[in-house]
Amino acid sequence: MELQKYYYDNKIVKCFILATIIWGVVGVLVGLIAALQLAWPMFNFDTEFLTFGRVRPVHTNAIIFAFVGNAIFAGVYYSMQKLLKTRMFSDVLSKINFWGWQLIIVAAAVTLLSGISTGKEYAELEWWIDIMIAVVWVVFGWNMIGTMIVRREKHIYAAIWWYVATFIGVAVLHVVNSFELPVTFLKSYSLYAGAQDAVVQWWYGHNAVAFFLTTPFLGLMYYYLPKAAGRPIYSYKLSIIHFWALIFIYMWAGPHHLLYQALPDWAQALGVTFSIMLLAPSWGGMINGLLTLRGAWDRVRDSATLKFMVVAVTAYGMSTFEGPMMSLKNVNMISHFSDWTIAHVHIGGMGWNGGLTFGMLYFMIPRLWKTKLFSEKLANTHFWLATLGMLIYAIPLYWAAITQWLMWREYSPEGYLAYPNFLSTVTQILPMYMFRSLGGLLFLIGFLLMVYNLYKTMAAGTFTNEEEAQAPVLDNSQSRKDARETQHRWIERKPVWFSIAAFIALAIGGAVEIIPMVFVKSNVPTISTVTPYTPLELEGRDIYVSEGCYTCHSQMVRPFRWETDRYGEYSKIGEFVYDHPFQWGSRRTGPDLARTGVVGGPMYKNAAWHYKHFENAQSVSDGTIMPNYPWFAEQTVNTEVTPAKIRAMQTLGVPYPEGYDTKAVADLMAQGQTIADELKQNNIDVVPNAKVVAVIAYLHKLGRDISKKE
Amino acid sequence: MTNDQNHIQDEYFHDENLDKKLMDHDYDGIKELDNPAPAWIMAIFYITIFFSVMYGAYYFWFSQGPTQDQEYLAEVNEYNTKFGQKENNAPEALTILTNEADIAEGMAFYQANCVACHGANGEGGVGSNLTDANWIHGCDIASVAKIVKDGGPNGMMSYKQHGDKKIQQVASYVLTKLKGTNKPGKELQGEACQ
Ligand code: HEC
Repeated sequence: MELQKYYYDNKIVKCFILATIIWGVVGVLVGLIAALQLAWPMFNFDTEFLTFGRVRPVHTNAIIFAFVGNAIFAGVYYSMQKLLKTRMFSDVLSKINFWGWQLIIVAAAVTLLSGISTGKEYAELEWWIDIMIAVVWVVFGWNMIGTMIVRREKHIYAAIWWYVATFIGVAVLHVVNSFELPVTFLKSYSLYAGAQDAVVQWWYGHNAVAFFLTTPFLGLMYYYLPKAAGRPIYSYKLSIIHFWALIFIYMWAGPHHLLYQALPDWAQALGVTFSIMLLAPSWGGMINGLLTLRGAWDRVRDSATLKFMVVAVTAYGMSTFEGPMMSLKNVNMISHFSDWTIAHVHIGGMGWNGGLTFGMLYFMIPRLWKTKLFSEKLANTHFWLATLGMLIYAIPLYWAAITQWLMWREYSPEGYLAYPNFLSTVTQILPMYMFRSLGGLLFLIGFLLMVYNLYKTMAAGTFTNEEEAQAPVLDNSQSRKDARETQHRWIERKPVWFSIAAFIALAIGGAVEIIPMVFVKSNVPTISTVTPYTPLELEGRDIYVSEGCYTCHSQMVRPFRWETDRYGEYSKIGEFVYDHPFQWGSRRTGPDLARTGVVGGPMYKNAAWHYKHFENAQSVSDGTIMPNYPWFAEQTVNTEVTPAKIRAMQTLGVPYPEGYDTKAVADLMAQGQTIADELKQNNIDVVPNAKVVAVIAYLHKLGRDISKKE
Repeated sequence: MTNDQNHIQDEYFHDENLDKKLMDHDYDGIKELDNPAPAWIMAIFYITIFFSVMYGAYYFWFSQGPTQDQEYLAEVNEYNTKFGQKENNAPEALTILTNEADIAEGMAFYQANCVACHGANGEGGVGSNLTDANWIHGCDIASVAKIVKDGGPNGMMSYKQHGDKKIQQVASYVLTKLKGTNKPGKELQGEACQ
């Protein structure tokens, strides 16, 4: 048959590789800073832009979207062209994909450090960045599907099934979770409130893990692992089963982030059961990966690429065993709000995503630059530093999690909490935070060795932007299924049908959970004493969101005696109906704040206490790791946008009286004055619209409504 | 393919024994075997499905399992049988403790929990002056213990969770060691009290 000549676009792969490396260093470095801040709060530097609450979202976004994101694109653009024997569909789309994505990353870093955030974990970016993400993502998908259509390979290989699922999954999740009402260019409110927002957010959050950190990497594994090992995929049948099972089941499991919280029991049960059912489909990937190495284990010893892949696949297996276990309610009660989850995600992030990315880079770069790796020995050192770094990071955190949980729930023989002072459970685990920083440091050093090694490799090689290749023309004229063809073999040569089938498999789970939560009223029983936030409280809440207080504080008292003793009455679904977005949090580095406004409750502090605490947390809570917020007293709330915020809230269904936007600022100043007067009694002078006043007003609102008698 | 000397050739390592089930699939040199999915992983899959169905049935169709709220009530009941209902231990019947050990305990408690607001010597700050003659909520042991235990509307925190004994100790410390020392600090608040 006639051979057609074509050129691989290597340049775009190179761009994504360089971006992966650069953002990877940034992401890990910022992570290290965040770790240091938790061990030694002086690393918050008392400046607005570098407090933990802002740095942590930069770290998570940089690792997930910048480092892993670019690694996905690099890996996909490289492997897809080879697997489909064609150049990418459109160079223009490739370029938009690249530059658009880098622009998003820069915008993300700048806005997050400036305190511009929507307050939803892993989806903190403001509305216009969300739109950019959606556009660039569609460009990526369009380019990918286009490439499948112009391919010269009859069937679509397993790696690409995962790429397709990734495209569809992330598109659906991102769009549904990002519905928000813009107030200004820099501020929007989530369309959903409270428990509904929580369900949508964790459906997204959980599946961001699935469709950004898992499915694309399984796809990459299916290409790079057999290539690097020179061995066949162990089981084609297993590829099929675990692919469809995984993408179908994953979408249901989100509520496992909300166990024992203010969510209907039925939704929690779906979270538990579907997470348990995820075990086998997830392990399918690990098994197919490890068994593909049969007959190649002797080569694993001398290849850093393969070693990284083995660690990656093993870490994947560990995390995907741990995940379902953490979804059991009695285990989740320990792991949730503690450092367990942090350890868990770092096994996944450093081991699975990091390991596979490193393996992939060590594989691609010598091939693209047509030379040997500069130093296999250095790569080996990197391997050990990364693996050791991961363990020294994670093990202390597991220890910290169990220690702290035991302290939280321990009762004295007389029936009182043994550690009523929350801070004592924090100072207890600080040594573990120091070890974990060391783990992060080792990981970073390893990373830098890789940068050097790859740089030397690139410098020694020659890079061809356009790599020539040849392949026969594709004859895919027979559209209907051949009698000898299996159903799956047929759909493997029908990329559009394949994509539709994947979409359906994905969409069911989300629809079954989200639609009833958002539209069926009985799922959110109302509480008559719960009133909307006053304008001052609303502004205070926006500051809370913008500073990322939710990265350290939960607002969700779970129904356990040891939590209600410490904080007060457990949280009810109906309390959160005006919370756009919800702020339940996921980690209790500081105490829960849901009952901070209950006068006479165990959490109540007066205005002056809060003022001093924000000014200098150490002065009131000796040994605390909460950052200082001295600028809260100096800066004022921008009351010019307050009316627009009130109108936005009205649009979202918050029952302020009609025309209230015109009175809002006066109310804000009046309420601020009462707090300023109170502070004055303690010789503290602040203006009534100071940020600190707004935050105090908000903190004093928390839990107050529910403590009123109906 | 180029003729470049340095170009890395991807090798495929064939293995007679392992590759008996090789399929005719070949994607950029990647081949696939026609092995079935291992039986044990399929078994795990079916068991987890079975578990999930039973879980749902137990809690919802047969309503056997407790709901979250019922679980909490059970926990509270269990606590009450073990420790008695704490809320009813009214501090009215308290007396001032005077022995040294109790006062020392009270002082330690004060240093750990109270200085942030009431000052190292009770002179006040965020909180009221504990050394002068005026008291907002009364100056007998029962009143002081009560405000320490339950907190108050002006921002006094509740220390219920530290237990009645500790509260009695710190209240005794305050009344015997701080009250009457008249440290300059926060201005007079509340009513004169003897
Ligand atoms: C690095 C994690 C961290 C961040 C970020 C953080 N906090 Fe804290 N916070 C703590 C810790 C730890 C404590 C407990 C010790 C103490 O009192 O400082 C605490 C205590 C508190 C308390 C006192 C709770 C009580 O009643 O004992 C309040 C109120 C509070 N934080 C509010 C905030 C607000 C508002 C923000 C955002 C502007 C914030 N925190 C950001 C860690 C954090």
